[in-house]
Amino acid sequence: MDYAKPDLADALAAQYVAGTLRGRARSRFESLLLAHASLRAAVRRWQDRLIPLTAVLAPQSPPLRVWQGVERTLWPQLAAAAKPLPWWQRVGFWRGASGAASTAALALALLLSVPTPQAPPIVIVLQGTGDAAQPAGSFVASFSADGRSLVTRPLQPVAVQTDRVLELWAVPPQGAPRSLGLISSSGATVIARDKLPRRVLEAASTSALAVSVEPPGGSPSGAPTGPVVFAGKLTL
Amino acid sequence: MDTTTERSAWAARSHELAQLMSRSALGDRAAFARLYDLTSGHLFAVVLRIQRDRALAEDLLQEVYVNVWRAVGSFDAAQSQPMTWLTSVARNKAIDSLRRAQSQPMLQSVHREDEDDDRPDLDQQMADESPGPADLLAQAGDARRLDTCMQGLTAPQRQSVALAFFDGLSHAEVAEHLHQPLGTVKSWVRRALMSLKQCLERAAQRDAIGV
Repeated sequence: MDYAKPDLADALAAQYVAGTLRGRARSRFESLLLAHASLRAAVRRWQDRLIPLTAVLAPQSPPLRVWQGVERTLWPQLAAAAKPLPWWQRVGFWRGASGAASTAALALALLLSVPTPQAPPIVIVLQGTGDAAQPAGSFVASFSADGRSLVTRPLQPVAVQTDRVLELWAVPPQGAPRSLGLISSSGATVIARDKLPRRVLEAASTSALAVSVEPPGGSPSGAPTGPVVFAGKLTL
Repeated sequence: MDTTTERSAWAARSHELAQLMSRSALGDRAAFARLYDLTSGHLFAVVLRIQRDRALAEDLLQEVYVNVWRAVGSFDAAQSQPMTWLTSVARNKAIDSLRRAQSQPMLQSVHREDEDDDRPDLDQQMADESPGPADLLAQAGDARRLDTCMQGLTAPQRQSVALAFFDGLSHAEVAEHLHQPLGTVKSWVRRALMSLKQCLERAAQRDAIGV
């Protein structure tokens, strides 16, 4: 067909916009549109004539999932970030926890300034996260400098429901926390090196410690499931 | 339905929509979200009218807006009305979905129903939930110029154009629906479109010289 003939071009544009140009003829016409400005102009004129007819259709609200799908397709990273952040990635959570920890850190610094023959242990104070419904108090966790063991101890016994236990977590700067095991709510717990993840004392692997309330035996999922009741930042 | 108001709203919103589109072209996601809020109701209605499968229509609408975001830089406010441009993207997507679905069982069953003389015809089937295509065309014709021009069409011409335009029926489907030979329907549609065009052009000229 000779698409350069204005009448033919116009007739095809009309059928294209009206929707009656179908199948292979429609795809062929669409590829010609890309190459011929005069065809595009003919299509635009037909759109101006016919498309306003659709103004009589009553609007239909699409469900929210349509927009969510658009966002997910166009901006996958944005869509991932829009999910509520887990507690260990929320800035506000750590702002509270580290503010409360600063006085304790000062006291520890004085203690640690006493010369010792060995490298000092690394001590982390885990403050209550401020949830009124949760047990009060604070924990101290100390790593031996060689990372050989970790000892946790509540400053005073912490009241935990009888059917619940406390679980200690190493929180990396990025990614999900790793369990360091269950800890006692009333006395010292020693976690031996072979129970600790390798390089747990490197900044890249641990930026904070946290304690969550879990069912007996610990979190069934490998990630904290209960409320996080104590947390403290690790400064190396 | 007061279509005169609707059609002027169509034009009145043009300025705002054109601004949202040019900001979207620069990557402004908030502008794009606003554009979606203002236009998705109309575009969904257009798609649903052609693609009756609601789940499929939702998928199509999603693809429409993904395409709009990617192609919005090619929109030229000097050449097109925003709503016309957006509606055309949606219509093309919906019509293409019919082409893809042609061999699929669900659509075949729709065709079988159409062929069955005992079944109520398409206009009656749609009457309970939504206006038939001929009603829509009559309403659209309320706008002054179109009204005059629609009067110039014969009844079968009007009906053929309405079925094709609003419901996305192919020539063959319109012929089947109206129990007419394919060639007859093709010429009705062709003549209807051409007389509509000539009539609209004459009306525009009359308006331009203030008669």
